[in-house]
Amino acid sequence: MMLVTILLISFVGAGVTYLVGKSIPRLRGIVASLVALLPLILLAFLYGRVISIDYASVPFLDINLSLRLTPLSWLFAVSIVVLGGLAVIFSTGYMRGKERPDYYYFMMLLVNGAMLGIVLSGDFFSFYIFWELMSWSTYLLISYRGGESLGAGMKYIIMSVIGSSAMLLAIASLYVSYGTLEISSLATALQSASIGYALFALMMFTIAFGIKNAVLPLHTWLPDAYAEAVSPFTAVLSGMLTRMGVYGFLLIMYAIMGFGLLDMFSYGPINYNIILAWAGALTIVIPTFIALLQNDAKKLLAWHGIGQGGYMILGIAFGSTLGIAGGIFHTLNHAIYIVLLFLVVAAVEYRTGGKRSLDELGGLIKRMPVSFVAGLAGISGLIGVPLTNGFVSKWLIYKTLVTEQYPFLAFAALVGTWGTILSVFKFLHNIFLGQLPEQYKDVEEVPWTMRAPMIVLTILIVLFGVLPGIPLRAISAIQTHLGMTPLQTSLFGMPKALGELNTLNIFFAVLAAGLVAYAVFSLARRSKRVSQYDNYAAGARVPVGQYQHSVKFYDQADRLIRPYLRDRIDDFYSWIAGVSTDFFEQLGKIYTGNVNTYATWIVLFVAVLIFMGLLGWKP
Amino acid sequence: MDRLVCGGADLHGAVGVETMTTLMRVVWIIVLPIIALLISVLFLGLFRKVTARIQRRYGPPIYQPVIDLVKLFTQHSNISHGLMFDAGLIIALAGSVVTVLLIPAGGIHPLSSSGDLLVIIYLMLIPPIGMALSAGASGNPNASLGVSRKLILALGYEVPFLLVLLTVMTYTETTSLLNVVQMQAGSILSWGVFRFPLAALATFLILPVMLGVRPFDIIGAPQEISSGPQVEFGGKYLAFATVEHALHIFIVIALFVDLFLGGATNLGTFFLKMLVVFLIGAFIGAVYPRFRIDQALRYCWKWPTLFALSGLILVVIIGG
Repeated sequence: MMLVTILLISFVGAGVTYLVGKSIPRLRGIVASLVALLPLILLAFLYGRVISIDYASVPFLDINLSLRLTPLSWLFAVSIVVLGGLAVIFSTGYMRGKERPDYYYFMMLLVNGAMLGIVLSGDFFSFYIFWELMSWSTYLLISYRGGESLGAGMKYIIMSVIGSSAMLLAIASLYVSYGTLEISSLATALQSASIGYALFALMMFTIAFGIKNAVLPLHTWLPDAYAEAVSPFTAVLSGMLTRMGVYGFLLIMYAIMGFGLLDMFSYGPINYNIILAWAGALTIVIPTFIALLQNDAKKLLAWHGIGQGGYMILGIAFGSTLGIAGGIFHTLNHAIYIVLLFLVVAAVEYRTGGKRSLDELGGLIKRMPVSFVAGLAGISGLIGVPLTNGFVSKWLIYKTLVTEQYPFLAFAALVGTWGTILSVFKFLHNIFLGQLPEQYKDVEEVPWTMRAPMIVLTILIVLFGVLPGIPLRAISAIQTHLGMTPLQTSLFGMPKALGELNTLNIFFAVLAAGLVAYAVFSLARRSKRVSQYDNYAAGARVPVGQYQHSVKFYDQADRLIRPYLRDRIDDFYSWIAGVSTDFFEQLGKIYTGNVNTYATWIVLFVAVLIFMGLLGWKP
Repeated sequence: MDRLVCGGADLHGAVGVETMTTLMRVVWIIVLPIIALLISVLFLGLFRKVTARIQRRYGPPIYQPVIDLVKLFTQHSNISHGLMFDAGLIIALAGSVVTVLLIPAGGIHPLSSSGDLLVIIYLMLIPPIGMALSAGASGNPNASLGVSRKLILALGYEVPFLLVLLTVMTYTETTSLLNVVQMQAGSILSWGVFRFPLAALATFLILPVMLGVRPFDIIGAPQEISSGPQVEFGGKYLAFATVEHALHIFIVIALFVDLFLGGATNLGTFFLKMLVVFLIGAFIGAVYPRFRIDQALRYCWKWPTLFALSGLILVVIIGG
């Protein structure tokens, strides 16, 4: 019953928020935040439980619609509620004074509800309905601002529809073959399926989830969509919505197919898992380096969104205990830091009048210190600096790849990290460090409704980085539920058998070393604060306010690598889109409106039929 | 691939770690960074002396950096550009010290059970990031230029260096640096330099880049960008930056000795090996002019990467 209540709160709450917003605008933000966070209380009670209930039946198909809660769906549901809730709270500050706020909140809550529906679905019928609900409301939110965002939205929805068509094909075929859409029954039924059929179903789902999770070469919708969506929604889009693809992969690969079936899809040394792993590796390397060339803060993060998705796929595809744990953990960690980073961009936009170009900002650390710390925590998580959450999950993935002797996959993963450092440092430097332009010298820190979500996420990044045992316990429960060897974890580190990482020791060592360094530092004479223009330029005078010193930050490297990093896949899709547009335009010309032309077409068609009949073709 | 059981690491996991008592470990945790600091500062002095002799100058005494440090630290006026400007340096120094603790130095390895080679290469990120934050906060255009150069250069040498590390980890089937060192024990022929020579060669070629000595002193090029990231540092700030730089040199060379020259069983031998590697680096540095940043990037991605890659392929084909 509680599962139904969770979904009811989300969907009815969205409607209520809309009505309240229309009648009493003052209460809009409070109601929206409550609706977004209320399911968390219910979910907290459901920790560690496995529930399955039927909530409706479809008489003409003779199937029951059901909801179910597993450790896997619990983890995703909690992340959706917490991150979605924080984004909504942030929005109450961000959306002040923006147009059509009621529509925005309604859609935002609808997306959250749809995502909860997806992870709580017990059958593919409900799964598909929630999936479509999510895709379409996302489309409306991406194109919410009009203008350029219409094109981005169109690109997103076309790829989404291709994905969901593939999924619908698989679902319909599963229904015809087995007469049920219940996920747990399908898991048993598919074990006796022929390899060809199982592979077909797997491929269809792979296309659907691959597009959603933006795995190369199905990633092209993402950069534009992320850049054009309203920033707090971009946070949700990148944090959880895109990662529904990861949930889908886990569901189809390990909850339904299982190792037994997955091992069958092999041809010599090549198998499904290794192909997926390589797709993940390419997804890490190429987008991460493309991110290096970006000058739009949101596009830069968007390309990292694709790249980090590669780590998740790589871990999950690899299928070892460490790998899957790393993949799931990275999904969670990525959600936390990328939501935070998009909120930071949103905060900067909010105070600078919508600026997000990395060539026009700078020095904001002096005016927005909280946002800076949040940004620093965010990029550290994204790089995977030790003691932040991203490090532990990446370490699990590297460790798997190295000990299982896949050095080239490991190389792709590691090099991706070093590409990340460059671009995210540029992100932080060009927004917050360097010289503060004159026009921003009176900018203020964002209001508390926007500060609080950023602070919470910053704390989470460090907490999960120092005590990874907390989330890893939930992940270990998922592995047990899926019938794998679970990762043995303690609260304070990893078991010895799995290798050498003790984040708590490292934390105390860094803390102690830092304190000693600080003590020594304070022993010397106190320093005097000087202005940003009071600096040394080897005798030359640097004119004030005329130059933006951070433009073309990595010009030398940029020139060297840019020629190799064109997104040819996007070019290819655009080419197909262009060609087919032309083709259908030409085709449209047969409707001339002249009866004579139509008569000619009919005569021609009959003539072709007769001709084919003469050649011996039988319908 | 073997899905359910994870790799051969469990076999090597805890070997040799428990041999040290807790008290000794605590003592070494405090003493090792201090020794490392002294050694690396003397290396800096030695570097100046050697360079001077090669260039037929007399040069300063070896302990000159110590004098400089004391002078800088006790200087009367210090200038700060804000909290991040101070904090960045402290973060950088803390990161360096912890990295030193994780690298086995001649039988001393007080913390190496808390982090393997993967942790070490990640910890090595903290000092440059801290310095970059500090330099960025100064608002000096030259500092930002220097940081940009530093990061590009890091991207350059990390590509071959990561390949090298993967070669070592694949060959030895462990991610623990301590195990890598222990496996090289015995005769000279079991040293890494003979087991994976291509990896050693590649690392040797990028060693000057990692150390930031000529021809790769692009980051702080005094004549071009007035010392780059360090331009706004004076007094205690410059003292901290110098110490951080010295520790960085220590870390890189110690890593080289551990990976390819068999580590050592006592500190004396270990520092001797480090000295040899360092002197070779200094000889190269003394006679070359400076590269441009794009030349350096091309250099790193050409021969060292090629050697490292073929080394890795060789190890994968032949097996460990």
